Amino acid sequence: MAKTSSIHEQSHKAHRLRQAAKKLQSRAVEKEQRKLHVPTIERNYGEPPPFVVVVHGPPQVGKSLLIQCLVKHYTKHNIQEVRGPITIVSGKKRRVQFVECPNDINGMIDAAKFADLALLLIDGSYGFEMETFEFLNILQVHGFPKIMGVLTHLDQFKDVKKLKKTKQRLKHRFWTEIYDGAKLFYLSGLIHGKYVKREIHNLARFISVMKFHPLSWRTSHPYVLADRFEDVTPPERVRLDNKCDRNITLYGYLRGCNLKKGTKVHIAGVGDYNLAGVTALADPCPLPSAAKKKGLRDKEKLFYAPMSGLGDLVYDKDAVYININDHFVQYSNVDNKNDSMTHKGKDQDVGESLVKSLQNTKYSIDEKLDKSFISLFSRNANISSEAQNNAKDNHESVDHSHNLEPNESGEESDAEDLDGSESTDEDEDAEKDAVVNGESDGSDEEYGAAAKQKVDPQDHMKEQVEFHGGRLRRKAMFGNDIDDKDLKCAFDFCSKDSDEGSEDDDDVGDQSFSDSEFSEEDRNEVDMGNVSKWKESLMDRTISKQNNNLMQLVYGKSASTPINEKQGDSEDEESDDEFFKLKGEGNKKLREGFDVENVDADECSKFTNHSNLKNWKDEEIYERIRDRFVTGDWSKAAQRNKLSTANDEDDKDSVYGDFEDLETGEKHGNHQKEESGNVSMQKEDESEEQRKLKKLALRAKFDAQYPFLDLEIGFCDLNICLHLMGTNHQMKKLMTNTESSFTEVKPMKLGILIRVEKLKEEIEIRKQRNIAELNDLDEETRLEIEGFQTGTYLRLELHDVPFEMVEHFDPCDPILVGGIGLGEEHVGYMQARLKRHRWHRKVLKTKDPVIFSIGWRRYQTTPVYAIEDRNGRHRMLKYTPEHMHCLATFWGPLAPPNTGVIAVQNLANNQASFRITATAVVLEFNHAAKMVKKVKLVGHPCKIFKKTALIMNMFTSDLEVARFEGAAVRTVSGIRGQVAKDEIGNQPTKKGGAPREGIARCTFEDRILMSDIVFLRAWTQVEAPRFYNPLTTALQPRNKTWQGMKTMAELRREHNLPIPVNKDSLYKPIERTLKKFNPLVIPKSLQATLPFESKPKDIPKGRPTLERRRAVVMEPDERKVHALVQQLRLITNDKMKKRKVKKEQERKKLEAEKAKDEELSRKRKREERRERYRVQEKMKKKSRRNSDA
Amino acid sequence: MGKGSYKKLKGSQNFRQRLILATLSATPIIIKDIRANDMFPGLRLHEVSLLRLLEKISDDSVVKINETGTMVQYKPGTLMGGRHLVHYCGESRAIGYFLEPLLVLGLFSKKPLSIRLKGVVAFFVGFAKLFGPSACAYSLFSFLTYLKRITNDSKDPSVDTFRSTTLPLLKQFGVPSEGLELKIESRGAPPHGGGDVLLSIPNIQSLTAVTWIDEGMVKRIRGVTFSTRVSSQFENTMIHAARGIFNHLLPDVHIFTDHKAGPQAGNSPGYGISLVAETTSGCFISADTAVSYARVEDGGVEDEKAELMSPEDVGEQIASVLLQEIEQGGVVDTTHQGLLFLLCALCGQDVSKIRVGKLIPHGIEVLRLIRDFLGVKFVIKPDPSTGTVILKCVGSGLKNLSRKSS
Repeated sequence: MAKTSSIHEQSHKAHRLRQAAKKLQSRAVEKEQRKLHVPTIERNYGEPPPFVVVVHGPPQVGKSLLIQCLVKHYTKHNIQEVRGPITIVSGKKRRVQFVECPNDINGMIDAAKFADLALLLIDGSYGFEMETFEFLNILQVHGFPKIMGVLTHLDQFKDVKKLKKTKQRLKHRFWTEIYDGAKLFYLSGLIHGKYVKREIHNLARFISVMKFHPLSWRTSHPYVLADRFEDVTPPERVRLDNKCDRNITLYGYLRGCNLKKGTKVHIAGVGDYNLAGVTALADPCPLPSAAKKKGLRDKEKLFYAPMSGLGDLVYDKDAVYININDHFVQYSNVDNKNDSMTHKGKDQDVGESLVKSLQNTKYSIDEKLDKSFISLFSRNANISSEAQNNAKDNHESVDHSHNLEPNESGEESDAEDLDGSESTDEDEDAEKDAVVNGESDGSDEEYGAAAKQKVDPQDHMKEQVEFHGGRLRRKAMFGNDIDDKDLKCAFDFCSKDSDEGSEDDDDVGDQSFSDSEFSEEDRNEVDMGNVSKWKESLMDRTISKQNNNLMQLVYGKSASTPINEKQGDSEDEESDDEFFKLKGEGNKKLREGFDVENVDADECSKFTNHSNLKNWKDEEIYERIRDRFVTGDWSKAAQRNKLSTANDEDDKDSVYGDFEDLETGEKHGNHQKEESGNVSMQKEDESEEQRKLKKLALRAKFDAQYPFLDLEIGFCDLNICLHLMGTNHQMKKLMTNTESSFTEVKPMKLGILIRVEKLKEEIEIRKQRNIAELNDLDEETRLEIEGFQTGTYLRLELHDVPFEMVEHFDPCDPILVGGIGLGEEHVGYMQARLKRHRWHRKVLKTKDPVIFSIGWRRYQTTPVYAIEDRNGRHRMLKYTPEHMHCLATFWGPLAPPNTGVIAVQNLANNQASFRITATAVVLEFNHAAKMVKKVKLVGHPCKIFKKTALIMNMFTSDLEVARFEGAAVRTVSGIRGQVAKDEIGNQPTKKGGAPREGIARCTFEDRILMSDIVFLRAWTQVEAPRFYNPLTTALQPRNKTWQGMKTMAELRREHNLPIPVNKDSLYKPIERTLKKFNPLVIPKSLQATLPFESKPKDIPKGRPTLERRRAVVMEPDERKVHALVQQLRLITNDKMKKRKVKKEQERKKLEAEKAKDEELSRKRKREERRERYRVQEKMKKKSRRNSDA
Repeated sequence: MGKGSYKKLKGSQNFRQRLILATLSATPIIIKDIRANDMFPGLRLHEVSLLRLLEKISDDSVVKINETGTMVQYKPGTLMGGRHLVHYCGESRAIGYFLEPLLVLGLFSKKPLSIRLKGVVAFFVGFAKLFGPSACAYSLFSFLTYLKRITNDSKDPSVDTFRSTTLPLLKQFGVPSEGLELKIESRGAPPHGGGDVLLSIPNIQSLTAVTWIDEGMVKRIRGVTFSTRVSSQFENTMIHAARGIFNHLLPDVHIFTDHKAGPQAGNSPGYGISLVAETTSGCFISADTAVSYARVEDGGVEDEKAELMSPEDVGEQIASVLLQEIEQGGVVDTTHQGLLFLLCALCGQDVSKIRVGKLIPHGIEVLRLIRDFLGVKFVIKPDPSTGTVILKCVGSGLKNLSRKSS
């Protein structure tokens, strides 16, 4: 028995163990599956743009210091001030852009939209602050990029234990907010006003290995975080009207997705604009070339931060700005003394001396002109000494605001940048020339400007200083801006050595700046010199022309082939039409081209050309297409369907041979040879890669045909993939994962894994295919086809921007330029699923203005809240529910469904409470809002017929009655009915006036009473107000709070108005008069017919007593006696009453006296007691003392 | 959003494509000078009907037509779709004219679309140009002159072709086949129509890009003939004639007959044929035509009817047209070029690559319109070895924004 039980137990135990194991297994599987998510295609084919690291935190937490330390760590440069984005090459394949998040909520919202990684700085000594949580919430709504917490101010703790505890506590709080195990970094303290080097190093390591996954909103919208901002309004216009609309240019890396020309953009805090011009510029902070070396060389540690005054060479579309350290620039004799100090070792530049001679104001201008040995500057005759003085003053003021860099970074860094920009030695020389000229020219220009703007030069200069980020910048023009004479002079001087003429050089310059690939080619062909370059550009052009020939036919203006076809098509039509032609129409048609002629053509997708049908019965003819049928030659057909890419080049020639004229054709041939000679290496590489890609694509096709392929083949594919990708670690890891799982797998897990793998593979193949197809194209067509690639450095020109944007521009507030998708510029109603934030104290009121941040935009709007009833009706809510989601319908620029929304009510910085009021997600948009609210119409019967009644006071007019025909009504007592369909129960008033309107005739299921109240319950449409107000925070000083539409409560508070109270809505005690019911009267006839049981029985109520029955008739004497007796009784009664009162009084008196006595006695007794106790106590003490003694 | 943002266009050409693209790209347009110098200025009946149809399937779209009908202002709204819609297409153009816009717009609407179209199910014959709204202002003489013209040039693809070729085309772009359906309830030949067609289209999130350059070899030819209010013998004659040509090349030819009688046959006599060649790689190449009398106004004289083309000739001719289409190459026939380009341009932001035969004027016009509205340009490269053209584009990444999330 015992044995069996033990066996039983054992089996039990085993069973339990097995179950536990199962549970564990399933849990592991679940965990693994949770990690998987649907892979997304990434369409960034080129170099990725720098990752944006937003450093956020409450004020005074050490944000700027952290950026400074990180920059110092990466580049060994100190920056004094962190203003605007700072781009840094952080690794061989990685660039990082640091941005400090502004402290106001608008800045935080914008920063959350472009952050790839957010460093949340937390003051460890203080704990979490509201800003951190607010920012976290904003991040969550706008896609949730990567987040890392950084604890600072930890040196404030003296007690180690306390520090440890605090760390623990903060970490756990941080985890609950994000996820368990989120990285929280500790910066233990400051050493010499900087964070500890080791810790910064670690932090940088963490940043550099961070992986970023694409966020859905951003992958579908292009955006640019502007790291440079210029006002390019013609100065004359500004001078005439200081508040005129400005033209601005914004510079930055393109992120998100490709930007096509013609895309509209939204500048956060400003508004929507059309791009007046987009130009790709050379990358100011390029990644190092792929050398085999490990790590970054110091020379490659580039950084670029024009707003902070870093980065010495700035390329523009048509100009190069050169920033020269102040130590190397001596404008005038003001700092002559310093001059000698700084320039001890170095020989003076020619250009510098030139400038100096210019700036020497000892002599009058004419004299100076005579002296100066370059005739070039003679045109600047209008420099007046006064103006110069002005300018000098300005320089002085500017000098103060300069942030000086360490001495040695001057020319070296210049050279560095030149190297970085991949220009040839020659170019470099030329540019150095340009530097010189630029210097002189720049100063000239400024003098000129100062002279021109005598009106208020001070003002103007100030503005300039603002634009240029607190430093001077001089222009060296390569461009076509010939209207500026000074500049042209400079340019001529610059290109004096090359006698090709300015235009050719222009081309080269332009191209090398506009597309980086081209410039690479340039570099390869250094030895060819200018002449060859010039030719090359021509050749390239001809090539591209030929490539585009068919495209030109379609897209170009002159469409020649289609004309003929079309004319043929519409010929017969015309001939018949002629008779009815309007005067002159026929001629017109002849005169004008194809486009005009066919403007009114009938649309027809069919292209019928039955006239020249071949005789397909003819054997010769039908045999020609034999191979297009399965009955034909399969191998020929296969050849036909093959991609004829191998002999593509030859094909091109043969096809386009007709189009090109002889000379260019020859050149073309030459060029090809040359090119193949020069760039053979590159070409080979490219072609090899292409072949690989093609192989991959083929394999993909094969895979697609056999979907249930052996896994191993899949792995082979993956291997190839990996091989191609080279260093794609992620893939590699995945591979190993799958392989390892393959050995021990459960079938289900494997199935899912395979599916995910399959998806990933598909995506990878699609990507490769895209790349392969796009690489086939030349640069120009590629730009047309797919737009600007992500990662290019763009210059965006915008026109007619309000001047406030320029005036209130603050580099500390990053400018976000976001592209707008199709249809997103339109305005309409949106419906969002909204939930009040749990930390916001109040519920939200319908139609109160709220600021929403959706997509790139921020705007104020007036949502109407609603909830969906079970029958799908959207019922309006006056207030948002406390803890539930509700629907919010609002008017505004449309955003696609599934876009996150964050709502803020108050933008002010000074409020202590949590500023985020609600979060939402857009469900759909529509052009009409469909919400209803309940309405109850109340009426009273004025006349009652059998089962119908006339109801008054329910409607105000007959029209209304007609509108409600057939509507259901109900009385309080529950009798149902409906508004009669046929007639209106208007009755003339008794006095003969006009009939009262709005009396409805209703039929009921039973007769109603006059005292009944009749209800009509209905739903009425509620309109959301068509109001939205974009936030223009960038158009006002940053410290001012943006003020939009105010809520009713705010207005009331401001104007000291009481809350209006509807008297009817107040609760008051319900007074009900007692209903008096008449006794039930049963008619006699009815009584008679009733059965005996139901008959009211006339039961006599007993016989009345004799006394009652007897009538007493008194004699007059008796009556007198009776009266007398009554009077006597009255008297006695009165007496008794009086006595009673008297007695009462006496009794009271007595009681009072008694009470008094009692009081006295009590007092006395107390006294006595006290005395007694005291004596006793004394005695006790005494005895105790005695005993003690 | 303001008035200035209207895109200005001229003339009545490509009216359908313009409307489609304006709706999809949410661009308001103004079309001016619609047949301004024409004898019968202004919009035609079918164009007005198309505008009405657009209003029917979308919310808050604004269509304004000026008094003479020479100017149209169209502000697109949200595409709604919906069930149990009915539209009367009129008789000036066949239903095929309305099917293509409906197909593209239905894919991008809020709810799946199912609509009943009533009108001319066969093809339009003759010139629609004559029968504009202002036509009645003109003398009877002009009418009579035109009424004599009877031709079997069909302007719109037939519903049979739509069902056999156009709908399968969508599958290449990842449109699910369930819910994609065209039911021909009754046929109606011009001039009096009386046809009835039920079209249902699912709504999608976005189209997937295609790489579709393999034309394959023709493995079978299928077809449908129809006849309304004429002898069913007509159909057999057509089939016989068509088969006579195909028999040299392919044994697998089946042409079905669809003889309608009674109320299903519509109001006018007519007959026609639609042929589809299916290739080994899943391409469908079609050709169709129909024969019937031209539209006769009430005042017209019936006895002036000219001879119609004989069924034998029709069969032969259309078979020849199909072979010509096959000879040209490409993954679609010329009729579907425009639609194919449009679909490619609407795909996600991946590269689509397609091969077509000769570019036809309509296709070129569509390419231009696509560039104007969606900013999508195609790389067009001829493939000289086969005499075809290969087109490449990066899709505009259009997503169905009006579809409700979850």
